[in-house]
Amino acid sequence: MSDDLLLSARHVRKEFGGLVAVQDVDFEVPRGSITALIGPNGAGKTTFFNMLTGAYKPTSGEIVFDGHEIAGLPQHQITALGIGRTFQNIRLFGTMTSLENTLVGMHCRMHSGVFRSIVRSRLQRREEAEAREKAQALLDYCGLPKRAEDEYARNLAYGDQRRLEVARALATEPKLLLLDEPTAGMNPQETLAFTEFVRKVRDERDLTVLLIEHDMRVVLGVSERVTVLDHGEKIAEGGPTEVTANERVREAYLGTRATG
Amino acid sequence: MASDSTARRPILALAPRLRGRVVTVLGGILLALVAFWLIENLVREPKQFVLVFLAGITNGSIYALVALGYTLVYGILELINFAHGDVFTWGAMATYTVAVSWIGLDGSQSGLFTFLSLLVALIGAAVFCAALNMTIERVAYRRLRNAPRLAPLITAIGMSFVLQNLIGVIFGFDYKSSNSLLPTGAIFHVGNQAYGWDKLIVLLITVPVLLGLVWLIKATRWGKAMRATAQDRDAARLMGIDVDRAISFAFGLGGALAGIGGFVYFAYFTQARFDLGFRLGLFAFTAAVLGGIGNMAGAALGGYMIGFIENFNSGLDWHTPGPDWTESIVFILLILILVFRPQGLLGEALSTRA
Amino acid sequence: MRQRLLARIPSRPAMVGLIALFVLYPWFYHHVLPQSSQWVPNTSTAFVIIAFTVMGVGLNVVVGYAGLLDLGYVAFYAGGAYAAGWFASQQFGGGLHSPRSWIFGGTVPKGTLGIHLTPWSVILIAAIFAALLGVVIGLPTLRLRGDYLAIVTLGFGEIIPQFVRNGDHVAGFNLTNGSFGLNGIDGLGFGNSVHSALPFLPSNFVEQVDSTWYYWTACVLLLIAIGTSLLLRDSRLGRAWIAIREDEDAAAAMGIPLMQMKTLAYLIGAFFGGAAGALITLQAGATSPQAFSLQVSIFVLCMVILGGMGNVWGVALGGVVLAYVNYQGLFAAGHTFNSVVGTNIDISEYSYLIYGAAIVTFMLFRPEGLLPSARRRHELHEEEELDELIEAQPA
Repeated sequence: MSDDLLLSARHVRKEFGGLVAVQDVDFEVPRGSITALIGPNGAGKTTFFNMLTGAYKPTSGEIVFDGHEIAGLPQHQITALGIGRTFQNIRLFGTMTSLENTLVGMHCRMHSGVFRSIVRSRLQRREEAEAREKAQALLDYCGLPKRAEDEYARNLAYGDQRRLEVARALATEPKLLLLDEPTAGMNPQETLAFTEFVRKVRDERDLTVLLIEHDMRVVLGVSERVTVLDHGEKIAEGGPTEVTANERVREAYLGTRATG
Repeated sequence: MASDSTARRPILALAPRLRGRVVTVLGGILLALVAFWLIENLVREPKQFVLVFLAGITNGSIYALVALGYTLVYGILELINFAHGDVFTWGAMATYTVAVSWIGLDGSQSGLFTFLSLLVALIGAAVFCAALNMTIERVAYRRLRNAPRLAPLITAIGMSFVLQNLIGVIFGFDYKSSNSLLPTGAIFHVGNQAYGWDKLIVLLITVPVLLGLVWLIKATRWGKAMRATAQDRDAARLMGIDVDRAISFAFGLGGALAGIGGFVYFAYFTQARFDLGFRLGLFAFTAAVLGGIGNMAGAALGGYMIGFIENFNSGLDWHTPGPDWTESIVFILLILILVFRPQGLLGEALSTRA
Repeated sequence: MRQRLLARIPSRPAMVGLIALFVLYPWFYHHVLPQSSQWVPNTSTAFVIIAFTVMGVGLNVVVGYAGLLDLGYVAFYAGGAYAAGWFASQQFGGGLHSPRSWIFGGTVPKGTLGIHLTPWSVILIAAIFAALLGVVIGLPTLRLRGDYLAIVTLGFGEIIPQFVRNGDHVAGFNLTNGSFGLNGIDGLGFGNSVHSALPFLPSNFVEQVDSTWYYWTACVLLLIAIGTSLLLRDSRLGRAWIAIREDEDAAAAMGIPLMQMKTLAYLIGAFFGGAAGALITLQAGATSPQAFSLQVSIFVLCMVILGGMGNVWGVALGGVVLAYVNYQGLFAAGHTFNSVVGTNIDISEYSYLIYGAAIVTFMLFRPEGLLPSARRRHELHEEEELDELIEAQPA
């Protein structure tokens, strides 16, 4: 296990009024790894994700990403620092095309302001052209068919929408890619293909991946480290096989004492 | 290895934490100044203060009624029904129509006759406005329940204009007035000014209505269905609650409250105009937000507070901005609440954002 | 067939033709159209129509692109109008005891009291002032969610006219001349010939300035507004706005700085509102608080709705149609109705009822506006088409 930690969360806690969603969680993500965050429904996984991306502010605790303290920063700044994400319930921009959705992801990596956009300066035109090329390349890379490029996002097939979400997240040029239940609703072949895709993305794009998953095939198939949350607490951490054999983890999922 | 001491701490991360404390301190100073101003006025002219305070309760009752209507609808649909203030105006106009146009009350009839006529007008206004509000929901908002949030909002504004100008077209754009409808004899005197029966009657109508509302929401099946739908629409549907009916009920109830408010307004002030709802609606909405939108007790509390603010501002003499500035003060208050404490006084902290 | 025709309108030749038609309107008015007809607006009315359409296009950036429901747009109109008055009238002339006169290229005789800049530069200054006003108003309000934003902008739209009415004694200054408004505002100078008008500052003063020149200035402003909107829409900023309109939180997660982008939209909308306000004021020569009410904000909003929020050409067309109705068509219709039916109705009483009903009707039945792209219409009526398909299935 590499000593270079891309993300390090200490004593992170999130309370909503009287409800404690995440209790005192310590969490580390080594650079270049594929880590899975698992746990039964309501364990606090998405809440934790939301704290990483800045959608929620932790009630207490620290989160250090790539040398920056990010707890409490506004979302767009965290994205600019290098965290990109997809959503559990697909949240694409429905009335924009696939290409435009991907271009939106590039917002923080482009620089043209009002004046340059109005007068269409040479710099702006070059930036736009390059961005479009990159976006098209991303769409291809993520497996979206050519005809989907100009299709409104809400008209795409479910699988294509999932792919577009990844393309859009990759457009933000992240160092850490957060995938929230990316294989929900996929059949076994699609899931396998996606698992391969995650590995490919990590290898070819020099990324670190953190995913929330329910599907054990994905967890066992692609992750190098697994962290388990239950009722807001971390109850296990380690390699995939060792974690899934852990009794406490089985109990949390099955709700009964594992026998034998 | 990144450790805490070497972590680069962006300057902006400091700002939110410091900001919270600065806001609390400034808020405290503001409240202290207001309290000081009130006490100064109380000490200088105690009788005037008491009268103004009582007037505040009267106006506050009307605001409370309308604010509750806003909060009921917001609680269940998360929609500000912009047209609510105009439903209130329709309530006032309905009261005028029934009591003055049809029955012909003009202060010369016997007490019993007046009382019964007013009762009829009250019921008429409440029923009419309940039906009006429910119709608006059915016609204008229901279709847009799944549309992007901007759509029902804009429709509500359009609806507000339609209602308002419909009054203008039907009743004319001038004030509609009548002779005194409520008995104005004095109950007691403060200094040389009287606290009349009419003020007390406003309370006698409002308080039972508020209590009745609480009972309706807490104890009846309809009230529970409404609360369940407000908390979690899908779960309510799964429990077998007819969500459409629950929403209609909320609108009907809100409309009835606006109608009763309109009745009280007309009976007490004996005049109304087509654009009454705009100003009053904004005040009532501020009241609902001040108390905590979605929170009934908050709406009532907010209503009375706005009533006090309005009357203190026009009635007190020492260093008072004056009635010209009441609207601005209320708007500024609204902005301050929404920016610094959007959950209002009694609401739960909403924002979990960074 | 109709579908294809409508989808084809945003095509180059048709566009150029349409623009030419509008630009040549004064010629049509003087030589072709029946001037005595109550249905035909004179050039001065046509000017007002185009100027208000500029406001519609400005508000479209705020509501149609960024999805911010601004109900207080009239505040920018007022800001631009009064800024124009401050820098091109005798308002700050100082009075008898300390007369002040600053004339920088203004079109007035030497020695006239007050500040008089070239009215052309005044339009720009007024627009910038309105934009700054937009930033100031935006600071507390743009962090609020949709419905609260609407109410608070509504509040600002009310406070500003109140301030204007009470603004005749602000720290010893008579800023706004209270309810009387500002008068004697200089007009635009157009010169005796194109040659003499061209060096814009200073410009020659022509005694009787034909409304035609004002009309053309308004047309130019409208084209600038439309052009700016289209150029921005098809850029990084436009995409960011649409993303914010669709799903603010997802937009933030994609790295879009919400406050910055919202403020920018506000600023641009305010800029054009102020420019239009200044232009209207310069032509009228005066302004007063009566002109600035909630009705105006709703009126401009109605233009955006009619145009199909976000669709610039639609809003421009919807704006012209609505402004025509408001300043000419409605009265003509009323008179005709009265003379035919024999009644004596004052149709202007019904105008806001009609606009409110128009807003409701369009939001419910035709949210894509008067002039949608075929695609957008398909998007919004998907559900109905699906229902029709299902019903058409054999039992």
